[in-house]
Amino acid sequence: MPTPPAKVLVVDDEERFGANMVKILEANGIKARHAKDGEEALAEAGRKGYDVILLDMKMPGLSGKDVLKKLRQAKNPAKVVVLTGHASVDDAVELINMGAYDYLLKPCQTEQLVKMISLAYEQRLIEERELG
Amino acid sequence: MEPLLRSARGRRLLPLGPALLVLAAALAGRDLTGAPAVLLALGLAAAVFWAVSWVAEQAARSRLEEARLEEELLQSQKMAAIGQLSSGIAHEINTPLAVIGQEAELGLMELGAPALQGLAGLDGARDNLRQIALQVERCREITHKLLSLSRKMEAIVQDTDVNALTEDMVRLVEREARLKDIVLERNYAGQLPPVATDPALLRQVILNLLNNANQAVGRDGRVLVSTDMPTRDRVRISVEDSGPGISPENMGKLFTPFFTTKPPGQGTGLGLSMCMTIMQRLGGVIQASSPPGRGARFEILLPLRKNGQTT
Repeated sequence: MPTPPAKVLVVDDEERFGANMVKILEANGIKARHAKDGEEALAEAGRKGYDVILLDMKMPGLSGKDVLKKLRQAKNPAKVVVLTGHASVDDAVELINMGAYDYLLKPCQTEQLVKMISLAYEQRLIEERELG
Repeated sequence: MEPLLRSARGRRLLPLGPALLVLAAALAGRDLTGAPAVLLALGLAAAVFWAVSWVAEQAARSRLEEARLEEELLQSQKMAAIGQLSSGIAHEINTPLAVIGQEAELGLMELGAPALQGLAGLDGARDNLRQIALQVERCREITHKLLSLSRKMEAIVQDTDVNALTEDMVRLVEREARLKDIVLERNYAGQLPPVATDPALLRQVILNLLNNANQAVGRDGRVLVSTDMPTRDRVRISVEDSGPGISPENMGKLFTPFFTTKPPGQGTGLGLSMCMTIMQRLGGVIQASSPPGRGARFEILLPLRKNGQTT
């Protein structure tokens, strides 16, 4: 049975960025949806099973770090890839230690992002099989 | 008066001062006339001149030292201000830059629709969009580099596990390396004592070296990261790659700001010069070597304790 396409939730308060990202990912065979803030992202992630969550850090209301913390507390199995415009090596290490799968700085190349999503998705499928 | 001792001739005469003092003191104890009296007078005059010059020299030196410290302080404040400003700008620019890149990509996708193939006049538009994407890529290089410069450069020293810190950075680049089938090998020393250093600054250096190595080897390359203790008081971290190596004429320019061998738009030439600045701040050393045909090797040497630190 062929592997179904990855389901990705794009969390970003910049409307145009989120909407464009959904179009670009869909054009690359990935099912994507946009959430415009942390609250919407948590509700959406709890309702539907996403494989990968692309998470912005600086958002009004819940920050990306808050969302990551809450996702891990809720034992959400989705892999989180942090995609942010501002960060340092220290932030990257902290986020990965907090349970993020990986970390990309905006603007990123689509090729690189798609590869990272597919690696994260693969990892997610392996974990799903192992945990039954 | 220009102090005599600041001239080269004065400095050569310097050791004569104490000798003249001793001579003058010895002669002063006797009842003298004639030649010895002249000698005594000359000796005393020379001794007094020497003493005055010495005092003047000390004063000039302390003024110079003060000016140097002031200059250094000003320079570090300037660097911190530039760092903060540039990171602030880079943060703010990255998101709109990302949107511009997306628009160009989506535009190209839409112009790629089968119905639009072969239509006259669209090739120019496609070329325009490709140029936009290319220039966004150049800006991206710059903002990302500015972000890495942004951190305050003052060292915050703490006991650091160098193996764990190196491994953190290797893991950070490993996923991207795997995409290019680059093999990252580790060879860490079994037991390293904690090093009193600034872990955040050290991370930047190691990350920079790892990224350079990955870029140098390209697809299917190998990168070896090792740690060891070449001497009792120093830890060494080295990054070796199987890339084309560094040509002898470039070896001397590696750490010069804005020197790069990467194609335009792919390197700012700031990475290694930043590494050098950081290593100086940490009291360590960074050096490069490239034996012919064996890729490049960068090593950083860190003292267990920086000079003046106590355990």
